[in-house]
Amino acid sequence: MTTRFTRRSTLASLLASTALLSTGVTRATFAAGAPANKSNEARLVFIILRGGMDGLSAVPAYGDPDFANARDALAIPPPGANGGTLDLDGFFGLNPRLTRLHGLYGAGELLVVQAVCSPYRSRSHFDGQNVLECGAPVPFGLDSGWLNRALEPLSAKGPRGIAISSAVPLALRGNVPVMSWAPSRLPAPQEDLIARVASLYAHDERLANAFAEAQAARGVMGTDSAVRAGGGAGAGGSAGGGGERDGRGGAAIEMMRAAGKFLARDDGPRVAMLEASGWDSHATQAQPAGALYRNLSALDAGMDELRNALGTTWRNTVVVIATEFGRTVAMNGTSGTDHGSGGAMFLAGGAVQGKRVLTDWPGLSVANRYEGRDLRATTDMRAVLKGVLHDHFQIADGHLEARVFPDSRSAKRIEGLVRAPLAGA
Amino acid sequence: MNTVAAAIAANRFGLGARPGDLRQISNDPRGWLLAQLVPEKTLPASLAALPTTAEDEAAFFIWLRDFGREARAAKRQSARAASSNTGDANGMSERSADANGVANVQGSFVKSLLPRYHAAIAARFQTAVESNAPFRERLMHFWSNHFVVSGAKPAAVALPPSYERDIARTFVMGRFGDMLQAAEKHPSMLLYLDNVQSIGPNSSLGLSPGRVRKNPLLRGKPGKAKGLNENLAREILELHTLGVDGGYTQADVTSFARVITGWQIASPLKNFRFKRFQSWTAEDFFYFNADAHEPGVQQVLGKSYAQSGAQQGVAVLDDLARHPSTAHFIATKLARHFVGDVPPAPVVDRLSESFRDSEGDLRTVYRTLVQSPEAWQPTPLKFKQPEEHLISAVRGLGGPVMNGQRLLAVLNEMGQRPYWQPGPNGWKDAEAEWLSPDILWKRLEWSTLAGRAMASAARDPMALAYELLGATLGEHTRQALANADSPAQGIALLLSSPEFLRR
Repeated sequence: MTTRFTRRSTLASLLASTALLSTGVTRATFAAGAPANKSNEARLVFIILRGGMDGLSAVPAYGDPDFANARDALAIPPPGANGGTLDLDGFFGLNPRLTRLHGLYGAGELLVVQAVCSPYRSRSHFDGQNVLECGAPVPFGLDSGWLNRALEPLSAKGPRGIAISSAVPLALRGNVPVMSWAPSRLPAPQEDLIARVASLYAHDERLANAFAEAQAARGVMGTDSAVRAGGGAGAGGSAGGGGERDGRGGAAIEMMRAAGKFLARDDGPRVAMLEASGWDSHATQAQPAGALYRNLSALDAGMDELRNALGTTWRNTVVVIATEFGRTVAMNGTSGTDHGSGGAMFLAGGAVQGKRVLTDWPGLSVANRYEGRDLRATTDMRAVLKGVLHDHFQIADGHLEARVFPDSRSAKRIEGLVRAPLAGA
Repeated sequence: MNTVAAAIAANRFGLGARPGDLRQISNDPRGWLLAQLVPEKTLPASLAALPTTAEDEAAFFIWLRDFGREARAAKRQSARAASSNTGDANGMSERSADANGVANVQGSFVKSLLPRYHAAIAARFQTAVESNAPFRERLMHFWSNHFVVSGAKPAAVALPPSYERDIARTFVMGRFGDMLQAAEKHPSMLLYLDNVQSIGPNSSLGLSPGRVRKNPLLRGKPGKAKGLNENLAREILELHTLGVDGGYTQADVTSFARVITGWQIASPLKNFRFKRFQSWTAEDFFYFNADAHEPGVQQVLGKSYAQSGAQQGVAVLDDLARHPSTAHFIATKLARHFVGDVPPAPVVDRLSESFRDSEGDLRTVYRTLVQSPEAWQPTPLKFKQPEEHLISAVRGLGGPVMNGQRLLAVLNEMGQRPYWQPGPNGWKDAEAEWLSPDILWKRLEWSTLAGRAMASAARDPMALAYELLGATLGEHTRQALANADSPAQGIALLLSSPEFLRR
């Protein structure tokens, strides 16, 4: 039914000239005390919500005539009711826990995509996440990630990408060396030992690359005690301090803050990737104290932290929030939802052409559902991602089609998701 | 003395050499491995001291009871607030206060279990460090990560240690089919993957939802029927047996979910009153609830199952254990763990055939693995996961001693919190997952601490390197150790060396 979206012509490549200034940076380290990102270089944050976020809980389609019946006890009340939906456009709303995202929407800095999915339709988390990250149309079609391949034509004054996690997620793995960083409560080794280890790894390329990126990340964060010891546990490691972090709450906030700090630097990476797990809401997902609502609250608070840490760089930033698939329309037998297909996706940031819901809405009646059960996916996530990469990073269509998302011509790049970039300083 | 094969046996197949091991193993490295393929005679003392299965299950049910009380209190408070408040803003704040009360019960539950969690982590680690059958112990770890029950799900936080003992440790030298049956019937698995709540839509409970309220595990909103939950059925097919490409459809998942409706946990709360509950085993907890079971014949993978009761599910599991896709899936995972992230096809085929021919006799499959020449390549085939790296370091150094809290903190930093796999697919078994800049850095940080703690005038890092790596010690690392400016730095370099990070 409704499509609330206007397409516009391709943007001029205003950043192309700055993008050519430095190339082939693989071992660069950050300069000490580099200034904030004054050049208005574009930044991107990719956040994966692992487990399959229930898109109809995050973005209730309260205006759909079948919504209340189909969702049963999971239907979030319409706007105005106690605990009701935060209205977006008279048809869709946001979950009441997403108050800050709602604020961004009002400010024109949030675009919501509904009934969207990767090309994957078979409901396995692990294959679904694999497709979402590798960027191939089928699971394990590629062994590198689309986000890493997108970095190939980009330049940066330092390393081009960072994973804010211990391990580098698949989406950011590939030929372009990237950093990874997570808070540490262990004491740092002495410089002399670091140099000896670096020299020992010179004969082992994979170790050498990873070690160089680790040094680069520590160059930024190593002396930043606020970040290093953040999250409520002292650097000395109080009893079980590290162990009580569980990927939610304090730790998630700490990660978002770190991502903002890295990206806000003038020599900061172009992209950062974060991940949050625990979105697989098979049971009791409507409970206010349940995992889904807590996760939504943490995401909302984390976005606020990210925006604050980015400072003025927020203006040049697009934050993409995606999940491997949506969930069943109907409530399952245990007040939750099972694995489905179409779901919700968010684009946030000062560079986003926001205050819009982008959807080709399929409706919620049984006949309109995919295989009679899932919200039908009518938008291919790759069309959104190609649109963002093209307009935000000026990545050429040739590279997008050949390298970043091979075999994705059916998913035509969506234009006009991103504002015209600010002129360089 | 052939210390290359000995080092491969100790480090790639085992959990890491201890000083003196290579000399002992080098006479017959394959024989040393094959001799470990016997069932464990007695449970190591540190594991025997941990809570029983009954105690772990009880911890969950106590939480469930308290959680239910809190939720009901919250609901009453909410009803009062709704009748006394007209403004939405006030209503909202009441709601969040209630939600916090319920969240606090969950938080205090997890916190109250931390001491036993620490003890369990320490016991698992100590057992691995002290094991004289490290190949068998590694295989136990492998199965524990195959049939995952993870504490990352708050309700399951108490369960993994006793579950691991009941399943992976008990069946590691047995038959795959037996381990499969025991794992899927284990109360912790039924809980972890939500099957305790799954009700056949045409079962007597499904048709008269009012009765559901009497069972605390099933209680939902009054008058609302619980129904089918396909979580366990899907993961059995995808992760435990056939593998995602093993040839099943959504219809198979749904049918199989119907088959195992009624697989629940024995009447929990009222048994607290009875002392005999304390001695219950996992099998005693399995309860087939006929009232929740979907009646009728079900089709799974093109075959009709007309059995009654729990036998229907047992029959499906039997067939899954024998399915060629299962043989191939398990063979691939085992080969990946020992012979490389992308295991050579001949090894996978050989293990798969061995699995099929022996009808899932795991010891036969392990023997085939040990006899596979591809597994004995002198160049390293695997990058150690963080826990493996720590275990091998402490085995090699004889320390540092770490209590559960310390271990938890260190492994958490390295992204591998014990008993805390992010999902039911377990820890990923690939270098790309673990060779990240951050984890590499944290290994160096920990290795530095270990070097400082374990250095002594009497300990020569170079001699130790030969004891642990034998002839697999490379020239670059040898040079680095020769140039180390102190024993502490030498040990840190040894633990961070490519040879020690890989196996």
